[in-house]
Amino acid sequence: MDFFLLLIATGLVSGAAYGLIAMGFALIYKSTGVVNFAQGEMVMLTAYISYSLSTTFGLSFVPLMLLTIPISMLLGLALERIFIRPMLGEPIFAIVMVTVGLAVILRGVTIMIWGPDPFNFTAGISTEVVYVGSVPFYPAQLYLIAALGVLTLAGWIFLRFTRMGIAMRAVAANETAALLVGISVKRVHATAWAFSAAIASVAGVLFAANFKLAPDLWFQGLKSFPAVILGGLDSVIGSAAAGLVIGIIENLFQGYVGQGLREISGFIVIIIVLMVRPYGLFGSKDIERV
Amino acid sequence: MKKTLLAFAAALLASTASYAQDPGVTDTEIKIGDVNIMTGPASFIGKAVSVGSKIAAAEINEAGGVNGRKITVVTEDDGYIPARSFQALTKLIEVDGIFALNGTSGTANVLAMMPLIEEHNLPTVVTTAPNELVYNPVRPSVFTIGASYADAFYGQLKYIHEKMGVKDPVYGVIRQDDDFGLAIENGYDRAVKEFGAKDGLRLRFKKGTANYAAEMAQMKQAGVNVLANGGIIAGAANILGEARKLGMDLQVAGVWSEDMPPSVNLTAPAGYDYLVADYVALDGPAIDAFMEKAKKYASPEEVGAINRYTYITYAGLHALAEAMKGCGKELSRACTVEQLKKLKDFDTQGVTAPISFDNEKQLSGTALKIYQLDSKTKTFKTLQDFTQY
Amino acid sequence: MRTGNFKETAGQLVALSDSKVVWGWAAALLVLMVAAPFLIGNYQVTLMVSAMIAVIGAVGLNMLTGTTGLISLGQAGFLAVGAYTNAILMMDYGWPFWLSMPAGGVAAAIISIFVGVPSLRLKGLYLAITTLAFSFIINHIILYAEGLTHGPNGIFVSNAKLFGIDFQRGKALYYLTLGIVVITVFAALNIQRTRIGRAWMAIRDHDIAARVMGIDLVRYKLLAFVVSSFIVGIAGALISLQIRFVNIDVFALILSIEALAIIILGGLGSIAGAILGAIFLSFLPEAIRLFFGLFADPNSSFYTTYVYEIRGIAYGVVIVAILRLKPEGLIGLWRDIRKYWSNWPLAY
Repeated sequence: MDFFLLLIATGLVSGAAYGLIAMGFALIYKSTGVVNFAQGEMVMLTAYISYSLSTTFGLSFVPLMLLTIPISMLLGLALERIFIRPMLGEPIFAIVMVTVGLAVILRGVTIMIWGPDPFNFTAGISTEVVYVGSVPFYPAQLYLIAALGVLTLAGWIFLRFTRMGIAMRAVAANETAALLVGISVKRVHATAWAFSAAIASVAGVLFAANFKLAPDLWFQGLKSFPAVILGGLDSVIGSAAAGLVIGIIENLFQGYVGQGLREISGFIVIIIVLMVRPYGLFGSKDIERV
Repeated sequence: MKKTLLAFAAALLASTASYAQDPGVTDTEIKIGDVNIMTGPASFIGKAVSVGSKIAAAEINEAGGVNGRKITVVTEDDGYIPARSFQALTKLIEVDGIFALNGTSGTANVLAMMPLIEEHNLPTVVTTAPNELVYNPVRPSVFTIGASYADAFYGQLKYIHEKMGVKDPVYGVIRQDDDFGLAIENGYDRAVKEFGAKDGLRLRFKKGTANYAAEMAQMKQAGVNVLANGGIIAGAANILGEARKLGMDLQVAGVWSEDMPPSVNLTAPAGYDYLVADYVALDGPAIDAFMEKAKKYASPEEVGAINRYTYITYAGLHALAEAMKGCGKELSRACTVEQLKKLKDFDTQGVTAPISFDNEKQLSGTALKIYQLDSKTKTFKTLQDFTQY
Repeated sequence: MRTGNFKETAGQLVALSDSKVVWGWAAALLVLMVAAPFLIGNYQVTLMVSAMIAVIGAVGLNMLTGTTGLISLGQAGFLAVGAYTNAILMMDYGWPFWLSMPAGGVAAAIISIFVGVPSLRLKGLYLAITTLAFSFIINHIILYAEGLTHGPNGIFVSNAKLFGIDFQRGKALYYLTLGIVVITVFAALNIQRTRIGRAWMAIRDHDIAARVMGIDLVRYKLLAFVVSSFIVGIAGALISLQIRFVNIDVFALILSIEALAIIILGGLGSIAGAILGAIFLSFLPEAIRLFFGLFADPNSSFYTTYVYEIRGIAYGVVIVAILRLKPEGLIGLWRDIRKYWSNWPLAY
């Protein structure tokens, strides 16, 4: 039983990491229809920026995040303005490929500025082991799960109750109609990128606190794709939930079946689920009129 | 293209000698090629190798070169991608016209370059990828320096078995599911069979895994207390971090990448005084002398990139130069290969054990030193001097 | 100057080109390609071989993604299957390479049927990620089926001989690849003219409408996967011949994304675009290296320390710049040039 609980606990932790990154993907897709292939790189870059802030100012966790999140939002706004805004109205494929190019650029820039060596980044979180029941945790792991919960709740409230959130849902549903109604689509896009960058920074900092800061952090973006797809590409809450599901399934597979089947299990699950629900667990169905 | 034609014409005009001169050799210059990992997350290896080549070449040139010829190092980047290694070596051979190869990137990369090396009989010194696949089967012009991962782990586990007095030892290995991991498991296998120890658990993970909680939970469940840690850098750090969280009491044997300062910074907080076995010296008078030379020949940021890969590349280029010296004025690839085969007890000023290629596998530097980390001071203590396994 | 394009028979409608001049230029290009190895150095020949292999892969992928509209990120898996099949048959079973290469294509095609099944239910990015999942699974199986595939050790490929010529050496490999490229491009162009090609384009434009018109989606979608993967499998087999070594690391995930980049950069949906994209992206790293070699200041220490990263970033910048200026891709650029050429000095 202990072993099982341990697996569930670690599943929640890695699932939370997937979920946070997946939320970033889903937010951008929801508002702009673009799959941001540079999301993993944004997570990495914001984590490194946070690391530099941390080593310069020696802050504990909350002040560090209060400083990192606005800077990340500025970064997201800048990236959107420079790379995506000029492509407004162009075919989606072209914009997606621009994000691929952006990913290449961000990877190179990160190594250029911070070098290829990995860093130990505690983000002002203590490293003493704590126990929840009989299961040991590092505080950083608990922070990760808590962050997912907080951000999911914040995301739900934002999309449901605030003007900007409803505007985003309108733009996602039908961009032209939203324009006609008077919603500034450009501002919605910019906000989506800014918030996505903010979520990415939280994901990046906490991921690095748990699993070290290294220039191959961007790969986690690709590994989070199953979570995005499982939850439904345009469902922010769904992505978070799906992240947890995939994390738990992966760890249960690894614990009981073993032999490096960890990643494969996640993919097998999404293939099976997608055959039953082609738009993911929580995705909205694309209604096509012929 | 124009450059190639001109070079071709120049070579034709210049070849007044009675022997066919190999590419990369003129009366004043010898070109040595490096295929390094200069970009991407693994570039800490390539950059260190580059510095090692640079220091060795500078030192040799200052002492007059190889029989009056200066060594020029030409570097190409392969980003750790085997297909690009092949292309990089093609460019070095066809366009730059190198004489010999020193820097060789990772295992899959050097294997991808093998057909080209064999085709041109290129004298090659492999120092960064001492995998068995490189010298099994042995290629005539390839000379490897370095112990295998198998021996490194066998040596460490043997030390733990004989000297560290673990009560009721249960052994476990966690390793990547590729050729590198397979080599580690081979060493582990040999140790376990020889000591008749209890083989607790063998686990594989995919490269790029960050979360080892499930794996370590399995280890704990199997009661493992002697761990062969096949993770590298962040992976190794996370493995030990998880073990600390679960409160596991472990003796740990690690990969030699864990003796590099950045890795130590990552892993030391877990509080395990892990062992590493390496075929280069990490400290002591030999390294102090090396650092003096480094400061003289390299820029400050290059000195900052120095790690174990620098030392072995430095030793490798010196061995190559020594063989080329033995050929005198008439320097050819065939002659260099012959000289390398005869190389015996070549002293590298203590950086590695003396190098001898006069064996069937053309393999040297297989003696390993075992170190233990003091996780509080982040320094290494030598447990055992260079030993053959 | 033409006043209009008048066709009198159905044959003329689907002809690849009605202009003798175009055929003339195509023939000239072919002659140039045939003569090339004698004009350029060995290194450039290997570069061209890599570019041509990329062209073959791009044409195959274009058939799936550009013509039929099924986005696939599983190319790395198919390349691996083609390469490994070729390697295993050649080295472990002693097949001659001219048999084992098509066999590699067939193996990839068979696997692609499994990958293609989700395409019957899924659209867009959901399909893309599912194909990505299959690529991961294929890589995993190759790594673990050690008895068949030598696991992580990889396989050395040698001995591709016919009539005493070693087809893995420079010029012979070049001509082999050139032959396959020509056949592939013609096959692709021809398929697009038949009812299969038209069915695929209908599926791309609107698959429900296509079904309503009577096009059997199951049959044509799976056919798209099969044909495309056959071609990609052959490209994989060629890679195994060129590099002479196959290993899981050679077929990393990044290849799938690069393949998609080639298609999109070249221009989605057009075979000429796929060719242009493949050639452009294959030569881009060399071009960047030459550019920096000529214009950058080699004494600036910033440059020498960061030269490799700068080149990598330049690669991304070029992709973004091209898409920003011409979102239709390189084929859009080509069409603009053509229009300008035929309309000058008039504007349109």
